Amino acid sequence: MNRKRALISDAFKVKKIRNETQKFGAVSEGDGPTDIRSTLETLMKLFPRKLFNDTLPQIVVKHQLYSIHNDKTLVDKELNKLREQGELLMFQLGFDADAFGLVFASDYKAKVLAGEDGRTTRATVEKFLEKLPSPCTELSFSKDKMLRELHFTDSEITQLVKSGVLTVRDAGSWWLSIPNSGKFTKYFIQGRKAVLGMVKKSKYSEVLKTELEERRTTSLVKFHMKYHIHDIVGAEMVESISTTSGTLLRFVDS
Amino acid sequence: MLGFLTARQAGVDDPLRLRRAESTRRVLSLKLNPDRDVDRVHGNGINTIDIDAVEGRYMLSGGADGVIVIYDLENYSRKQQYSCKAVCTVGRSSRYVHKFSVETVQWYPYDTGMFVSSSFDKTMKVWDSETLKPAEVFEFEGNVYSHHLSPIARKHSLIAVGTKDPKIQLCDLKSGSRIHVLQGHRSEILSVRWSPRYDHILATASADSKVKVWDVRQASGSLFTLDQHNGDKSKASSEAVNTAHNGRVNGLCFTGDGLYLLTTGTDDRMRLWNSATGENTLVNYGKVCNESRKRLQFTVSRGCSPEFVFVPCGSSVAVYALHTGELVTTLRGHYNNVDCCEFHPDYQELYSGGKDCNILAWVPVPRASDVEEESKSANQAAADQSSVNPAFQDAWSSDED
Repeated sequence: MNRKRALISDAFKVKKIRNETQKFGAVSEGDGPTDIRSTLETLMKLFPRKLFNDTLPQIVVKHQLYSIHNDKTLVDKELNKLREQGELLMFQLGFDADAFGLVFASDYKAKVLAGEDGRTTRATVEKFLEKLPSPCTELSFSKDKMLRELHFTDSEITQLVKSGVLTVRDAGSWWLSIPNSGKFTKYFIQGRKAVLGMVKKSKYSEVLKTELEERRTTSLVKFHMKYHIHDIVGAEMVESISTTSGTLLRFVDS
Repeated sequence: MLGFLTARQAGVDDPLRLRRAESTRRVLSLKLNPDRDVDRVHGNGINTIDIDAVEGRYMLSGGADGVIVIYDLENYSRKQQYSCKAVCTVGRSSRYVHKFSVETVQWYPYDTGMFVSSSFDKTMKVWDSETLKPAEVFEFEGNVYSHHLSPIARKHSLIAVGTKDPKIQLCDLKSGSRIHVLQGHRSEILSVRWSPRYDHILATASADSKVKVWDVRQASGSLFTLDQHNGDKSKASSEAVNTAHNGRVNGLCFTGDGLYLLTTGTDDRMRLWNSATGENTLVNYGKVCNESRKRLQFTVSRGCSPEFVFVPCGSSVAVYALHTGELVTTLRGHYNNVDCCEFHPDYQELYSGGKDCNILAWVPVPRASDVEEESKSANQAAADQSSVNPAFQDAWSSDED
């Protein structure tokens, strides 16, 4: 019995919970100690590097983790820990107030510098990356901060925006961003719409997860099917129900 | 269970521990029981229900047609099968009935002789339960979305009223005055709630996405505004600074001890706040479907550990663990949208009302009796049909025996 967790004995809870959440069929997630880092790495492997000619670091969207681990608050806490340790960077992806992209810091720095090779803005970008407080827990920078704390001039800020490391948020403040991520956002939204459409058009608006993974994808879906499935399950656009034949995904009307 | 009882007997465990454990077990086993029913009196959807704080015996319900019904929840018949009867009704035929839908009803916190109801006909009426006539009528300029009387106040008897107007009005029951006004919001006030811990702290939620906490004794504005990003200006776009939600905030509920405040918004999120500092505890409940254009009445359990939140979600009631945010279960049973739910802390029962004109009672599943008990009760049942529960049997004997 895990004394740390509950004030009452597990024996009390077991009777009810066992009746309600009997796991049918294949149980896909292990119930062991939540290792967010290894989940992140598994999800990153699903990211198609070749599609972007290796110019983009591997991006995972935060709510994809919610589809693998049940406890969302725990996932959030672990992610904050990783960000505080300086290993992970979080970005506001822009198309949704809640969609945050996660990239390993080392990956990000390597790709940005590789992308800046041979460009006039390289020096400024290098300076910015070095000055970036590590651990960086902020998603955006205001003009105040840029001028005073980081000692950048106006023209340097323009260069950073040109290179794609900063994107305009509002007059006088900028989001931290991934250069050339526009293509990623476009393909991501297109693919998400296509996969959701596939689920919606199925009979009763539901489809088995294994069947969806094996379906032939149109040219609109450029990412791995599993990447999109984690995304729509984590964002709660489809409901994930365990049945005797595996996990069923049912479209949620909202 | 026996372990808990022995530990309590021996003094190893605090008496509260056994009580909390049993309450939690009961809440985790809430189910619709065919033996428990609530009389169906409303002809239209039910917007609000309230159980009286004094005895927990009477329940008020307000409907979309302006009808108010009082039910008796106690089971004094000696049978298992019990239907909560409607004791009296303020029906459409009454002279004083509200013209449009009743949005909020609340018992007077100290006795069931009085209750207050507010409605979309821009009035708030204070009723005498004996005669079912309003003792006082407060009129407003806009639809009244919500009102609340402080459950613990001794020094004042103010009713906080949230209407279409961005100003919160405090109506005094003793004098009938309404001059005390709280200004600060920019849009209609969807929900108001007094803190169960301090009688001068009031929380208000508005359609301008902000939740403000006020001290009514102060002349200046609100104490603080809840900020979902905890002051971290970098996380949100600049319009969303200092907002509690990314949409209208339509539900407010304090936990039983008043230390935490829960808010729900039309951005499909529910947030838990520390009520003393206004800090967002960042508990992630996931997507809590919320399409209500009016106030959403949800409730928190009391006396359990861990505490549970019961939120109406579409046509079911979702039960979340308060501090971890996990979805424990979904209570399905209504045929249409659920609008309100209320927890009965003494019996750990949940009552929910919705657009299908039903109030459903979710009752903890009774313990399965042991094999020995079953055979004994089978013999008894054959001999004596009316006594199911030996606790109701008359075991009194006179001294002369």
